[in-house]
Amino acid sequence: MSEIILGSKMVQLIIALILVSTFLILGSTRLYSCVRAFGIQSFLLACVAGIVAYSTGKNDIYIVAVLTLVIKAAVIPYIFIYIIREIKVKREIELYVNVSPSLIIGGVLVVISYYLIRSISIISELSSFALSASMSLVSIGLFVMISRKKAIMQMLGILIMENGLFLGAISLTYGMPLLVELGIFFDVLIGVLIMGILIFRINKTFETIDTDMLKTLIG
Amino acid sequence: MIEYLLLAPLLTSIICFLTKTRKQVETVSVIGSIATLALGLLLVNNVFKYGTIVTWQNALFADAFSAFIVLIVSIVGFVASFYSVGYMGHEFDHNIFDIRKLKMYYSLFHIFMFTMLLVGVTNNLGLWIAIEMTTLVSALLMILYSRKSSVEAAWKYMIICTVGITFALFGTILTYYAAVKILGETGDALNWTSLIAVADQFDPTIMKLAFIFILIGYGTKAGLAPMHTWLPDAHSEAPTPVSALLSGVLLNCAMYGIIRFYAIATKSVGVGFTSNLIIIFGLLSLGIAVPFIILQEDYKRLLAYSSVEHMGIVALGIGFGGVYGIFGAILHMFNHAMTKSLMFFGAGNVLLKHETKEIDKVSGIIKTMPVTGPMLIIGALAITGSPPFSIFLSEFTILAAGFLQGHYVPSILFLLFLIMIFAGFFNNISKMVFGTPKPGITKGEVSRWNLAAMSILIVFIIVLGVYIPPFFYDMIMKVVAVIR
Repeated sequence: MSEIILGSKMVQLIIALILVSTFLILGSTRLYSCVRAFGIQSFLLACVAGIVAYSTGKNDIYIVAVLTLVIKAAVIPYIFIYIIREIKVKREIELYVNVSPSLIIGGVLVVISYYLIRSISIISELSSFALSASMSLVSIGLFVMISRKKAIMQMLGILIMENGLFLGAISLTYGMPLLVELGIFFDVLIGVLIMGILIFRINKTFETIDTDMLKTLIG
Repeated sequence: MIEYLLLAPLLTSIICFLTKTRKQVETVSVIGSIATLALGLLLVNNVFKYGTIVTWQNALFADAFSAFIVLIVSIVGFVASFYSVGYMGHEFDHNIFDIRKLKMYYSLFHIFMFTMLLVGVTNNLGLWIAIEMTTLVSALLMILYSRKSSVEAAWKYMIICTVGITFALFGTILTYYAAVKILGETGDALNWTSLIAVADQFDPTIMKLAFIFILIGYGTKAGLAPMHTWLPDAHSEAPTPVSALLSGVLLNCAMYGIIRFYAIATKSVGVGFTSNLIIIFGLLSLGIAVPFIILQEDYKRLLAYSSVEHMGIVALGIGFGGVYGIFGAILHMFNHAMTKSLMFFGAGNVLLKHETKEIDKVSGIIKTMPVTGPMLIIGALAITGSPPFSIFLSEFTILAAGFLQGHYVPSILFLLFLIMIFAGFFNNISKMVFGTPKPGITKGEVSRWNLAAMSILIVFIIVLGVYIPPFFYDMIMKVVAVIR
């Protein structure tokens, strides 16, 4: 069953596009483009959920798809843009790792994820394609967090990881039980709001949101 | 029953937000925490008398283990709300907090209580959601002080724990995947009650992978090394009553998540794999804590590193396994919660008086603060595992379990680390307690509320050191039965 849906050309194409959107984030030095790429990624994710919902005929997954669309593709990008405007961040992102090495590392991470998932034999009966894409998103999200200086990019990294897990859950089990999915959406939304508050606070106390400054507590 | 328990802190929080004056908000908070404690104790009593309670279409449940967590949360929450009156009152008097911040503090405090209780009583393994909520609320509590260091600590805490918890979510998804194969796609397939019944049929390869992710994920939140790096920052920068809740209770909540999954994973993959992993993380936590405790210059960070150590000890107890090991670990969770809260409260008194967190800038507490001083000494003796205090008993049980189960090398290392930590910790505390007082420090305690809170805790520490009442023993045995 899962082979039929997730193996379909349509879904494979969308998952490939999701990976492309992730590379857009890696390849960009402008905050707005990163946020836009994240919005596109979430939109595509909602499409995957929609297709899965359509082919399984489960109402629960429709709800999840709509929530993804509203919260991750609209509300969260809007919060990002609000933060960027309010604190007048410099629109350029400073990087610890430059764009071209970032892209190469991203590519390497995708390859590693692909082989990792392939080698875990049990999952091979499933759509290993979607699962390796999900692994790639998680690892690239982590990489974004450690290679970008702005606090806002760390927040974005976490959300990319979360999107990756969402893809993983959809491809493994058609998502979690509805109650759990709702809880996760709630947490993600509240989490983004609170990280937003923290970023405002960091900006107020340190007059920058570069995480370079956050290095006094050691030992 | 469970609904009322969850409702009490939520209502308290809302009413706290609506109050107008300091007196009102303090009264509401104390009454609210008394109500939470009363309902918590009632729940514990019902669970141990009549067995597991399940309500709300299986979403909420309380078995012996949940009830035990509820017990810890509500006791420490109760004393911390007492302590808050003294501590936050002092900050209010010195114009560090205005009434708006004070109200915010109490509202968040009770929401924090709510999220921790929720961790205990969620049937669903989506207890992930509740654990993530605890992070969110406590990060807000940390930035109530707008110091640079608090903001930094809160950001690190938020980012590291959220990433950690993301891994735990992956582990949860994998567990669900394993469960769906056996149970089918029902909404119940993540419920503890249905999972544990069929756990032995789960695919071991998937469960191994799931357990690794869970251990790293919740281990981050439980402060296990090497994922503990946020802990000393967060626990030392939070307002002191919150530090006590973070160290004494929240770490236990994360540990609770690990132990629940441990029980499931062990049924599926056999005891060797899961225990060895937990023992490794436990020993690492103990080992990493040693140098930081010996060379520490900041006394709140000293206590935070000691929490890393104690979570390591709990992990060791679980890893050693057998009735003794798990009994010791559960008892240790309780004892550590009481003792570490006492130590943080004592440290809070010192901080209010001396306005520095540096060990070298504090001395002669026993002369200037005649009640806090002795209590700190008792607390320090207790927390380092000296007889006749409660932690000695649980540490000894765990050590005995280690030798009984044939884990000789880890047990010997455990003992060595404990001796080094004893020397380091006690040396640092005695520097502060004895000696001549620093000039300019007047004699006198900060607040009677603070001392009241500490006296309640010290009763537990002393009594449980010499005598475990039969009902308490039965309780822990029932918890052990749930886990094994």
